[in-house]
Amino acid sequence: MSDRREHMLEARGIAKSFGALKVANNVTLELDAGERRAIIGPNGAGKTTLFNLLTGEIAPDAGTVLLDQKDITRLTPDARARRGLGRSFQKNNLFRGLTVRESLTLSAMIALGKARQFWRDPGSDVEIAERIDQTALWVNLAGELDLPTDALSYGARRQLEVGLALAARPKVLLLDEPTSGMSPEDTGIMLELLNSLPSDLAMLIIEHDMDLVYGAAQRVTVLNYGEIVFEGTPEEARASDEVKRIYLGDWGDHHA
Amino acid sequence: MLRLDGLRLVLAIVLFAGGCGYAFTSDFFGKELLAEIAIFAILAMSLDFLAGFAGMVSLGHAAFYGAGAYIYALLSIWQDWGAPMAMLAATLFCGGAGWVIGAVTSRTQGIFFIMATLAFGQMAYVYVFENRAIGGDDGMSGVPRLDLSGIGIDLNDPSIFACFLVVMAGLVFVLFVWLLRSGFGRALVGMHRNEARMRALGLPLIRYKAAAFAVAGAVAGFAGTLGAQHSMFVSPDYLHWTNSGLVLVIVILGGLESLIGPALGAAVVIALKHEISTHTEHWAFFVGLFLIVAVLAGGKGLYGLLASVRDWAAAKRQPGGGDA
Amino acid sequence: MFADPGFWIVQLLNGLQFSMLLFLLSVGLTVIFGLMNFVNLAHGSLYALGAFVGWSWVNVSGSYWLAFFLAPVCVAAVGALLYVTLIDRMRAAGPLNQVLVTFGLIFVFLDVFRYFWGDFTLGVDKPALLAGGFEIAGQIYPAYRLFIIALGLLVLAGLWVVLERTNVGATIRAGVDNSEMASCLGINVEKVFFIVFCVGCALAGLAGVVAAPLFSVSPGMGIELLIPTLIVVVIGGLGSLKGAIAGSLLVGMLQTFGQVLAPQLASMLVYLLLAATLIMRPQGLFPARA
Repeated sequence: MSDRREHMLEARGIAKSFGALKVANNVTLELDAGERRAIIGPNGAGKTTLFNLLTGEIAPDAGTVLLDQKDITRLTPDARARRGLGRSFQKNNLFRGLTVRESLTLSAMIALGKARQFWRDPGSDVEIAERIDQTALWVNLAGELDLPTDALSYGARRQLEVGLALAARPKVLLLDEPTSGMSPEDTGIMLELLNSLPSDLAMLIIEHDMDLVYGAAQRVTVLNYGEIVFEGTPEEARASDEVKRIYLGDWGDHHA
Repeated sequence: MLRLDGLRLVLAIVLFAGGCGYAFTSDFFGKELLAEIAIFAILAMSLDFLAGFAGMVSLGHAAFYGAGAYIYALLSIWQDWGAPMAMLAATLFCGGAGWVIGAVTSRTQGIFFIMATLAFGQMAYVYVFENRAIGGDDGMSGVPRLDLSGIGIDLNDPSIFACFLVVMAGLVFVLFVWLLRSGFGRALVGMHRNEARMRALGLPLIRYKAAAFAVAGAVAGFAGTLGAQHSMFVSPDYLHWTNSGLVLVIVILGGLESLIGPALGAAVVIALKHEISTHTEHWAFFVGLFLIVAVLAGGKGLYGLLASVRDWAAAKRQPGGGDA
Repeated sequence: MFADPGFWIVQLLNGLQFSMLLFLLSVGLTVIFGLMNFVNLAHGSLYALGAFVGWSWVNVSGSYWLAFFLAPVCVAAVGALLYVTLIDRMRAAGPLNQVLVTFGLIFVFLDVFRYFWGDFTLGVDKPALLAGGFEIAGQIYPAYRLFIIALGLLVLAGLWVVLERTNVGATIRAGVDNSEMASCLGINVEKVFFIVFCVGCALAGLAGVVAAPLFSVSPGMGIELLIPTLIVVVIGGLGSLKGAIAGSLLVGMLQTFGQVLAPQLASMLVYLLLAATLIMRPQGLFPARA
């Protein structure tokens, strides 16, 4: 396939078992700079577990993870984040009681190494302010910057969930079901939002909403029982009988 | 994030001006009381920084207070260090000790963390109590005060000393306002709200928790150097768990995560403690009772009470103001 | 002295005796946590209450054995009262509020003891039956200490039988593993909580009344033993019976042998053990839930 040098994120032979249950079985995948890839698969296929293995929340039994060609397998989740691996969560994981601006400030100041400053207020930092404004434009929250997060609508909170990761300007962004629980209109907004992001940002998206998968991803990886069973373009995935069988099996076929 | 709103500012100014005024108008007993209030206000603000803002409730905070007092006493009595150097060294030592204890205890969470702080606090107490070389349970007397006669200030005058302590408490308040608005302070508040998210955003949690402990420990140690100068005497009682409990009561009753609430709480609780002590020797019973009642009442404390009065008044004023 | 095997046996027995006392206290604390997710910092105060109530019964009746049986009952009754008035409503209030309220209770108990029993140390005589000693490897060892060891082992065996061999025990274990599931299975979780809390308090009271003839009885004795007990449960792993046993033995032996081998360091050793555990195994030796 493409030149090895371009891989922004690479997983090589990742394996993880909880007792007898194999949640990741020899998973190998690459994500190029600017690539948008969707990970789909039935419930319990190990998609979120794979994210946790990539971000370092869980240590793998075997295999390596590379970010921008550097081995990050032994790094803690926070060290991986500082090297440019951002993530959003399936369930909103926000800062209660803080405003949108204050929340985005936290993300930006950590990424810029300004969380260490004992003396300066990041609230009056020009570089952080620019980042927050840009991020707010990306995630459609420019008008809500000074609202408490608790006062936002559900859709807006999902947007902030992605915005928190974006304010750190990651090289690679892992999105865990960005449209989970959203109305069809909000899903459309999220799709538009994702497609408006800088073209060099690599994204790995866990998603159930097929419209978003077909609209945002260039490639699709299908996971089943912790194993990659298919890789290809969205069109190829749509045409694949195996994908249909796995993906539709759990509600199409009662005997499986 | 600390928002220095009107209520906080007004309270801070009232407490500061009231303290300074009271230092010169009250009788001797009132000055002693004021000095104790100012010292406990510093201690309580440092615990609020740690427990209220950074979310790390410590039941061993008196250990830092006592360590600061003892190190100041040892350096100034035995080593003949000047008071400013001894105060600085004691403060720095407590910061370092706080960093180490914070780094160790932060490996645990929630209830484990709280129990570990209680245990390490007791460790410091036992060490001082059993160490005959530093006076054991008798403590040490003859602790000198800072000498500011060079700039015309006589700290042996009770009025001036009490006022000096109020000024120190004011400076500590300003320090924490400043710290809590910095990147570091914001990171701590973010960590308190959502630890997992802060880690996912790249914050090394243990390092920041240890740093928070170091800052709180240093300020508590600084309060200890002032306490030793106030009573001119140090004893293991400084480190006793009942002292940690008293500071915690002050913080909870004053209002967790409000910074100025604990200063107000110090004034109320210390004054009450003396009032109760004149009637009964069993004031610890009331300290415990206040703590239980404050928690059962919702845990917002006096500051929370004042804030809801303010909000209620604002809501009442708004429609009327719109008509006018 | 160190070459004499009798000396080592005596120290070993002393360590075992202290471990059993710690076990009586820590097992209640840890099972209550495992079941209810509730840490009662006033557990040490209940231990002191057991000692004070025991002292009073001895003085009223002249019989240690009456006190031995009545003190745990009285402490359990106080525990039941606390449960109904305070603990039950704090269950949903989060760990911070639970800690604060039970920390407040320590203060309240401290002055209650001072008010009713005075602020000095009281002595309780050993029961006549156990006043003597046994000769072990050339040393006279007090019978009363052997009695504490036997009592601890008896409680341990009893708890094991109840937890592993009876329906009530199965219910408690189910509750520790997953209280939601237990209540779905139609188990009356509330009732189990109440009973376990009272039994934990009774064991603390028992520890108090058996400790009374050994140490002096004073208002501060509760917090004195609370700290090693907390260290035991942190080291052993909160919520784990196995952890309570292992932690008690570790802390009891370390404290006892530390006092003999390195008296200057003895009081610090337990804390060093705590620090080492926090650094190497922050979840404790036997974490209750993986």
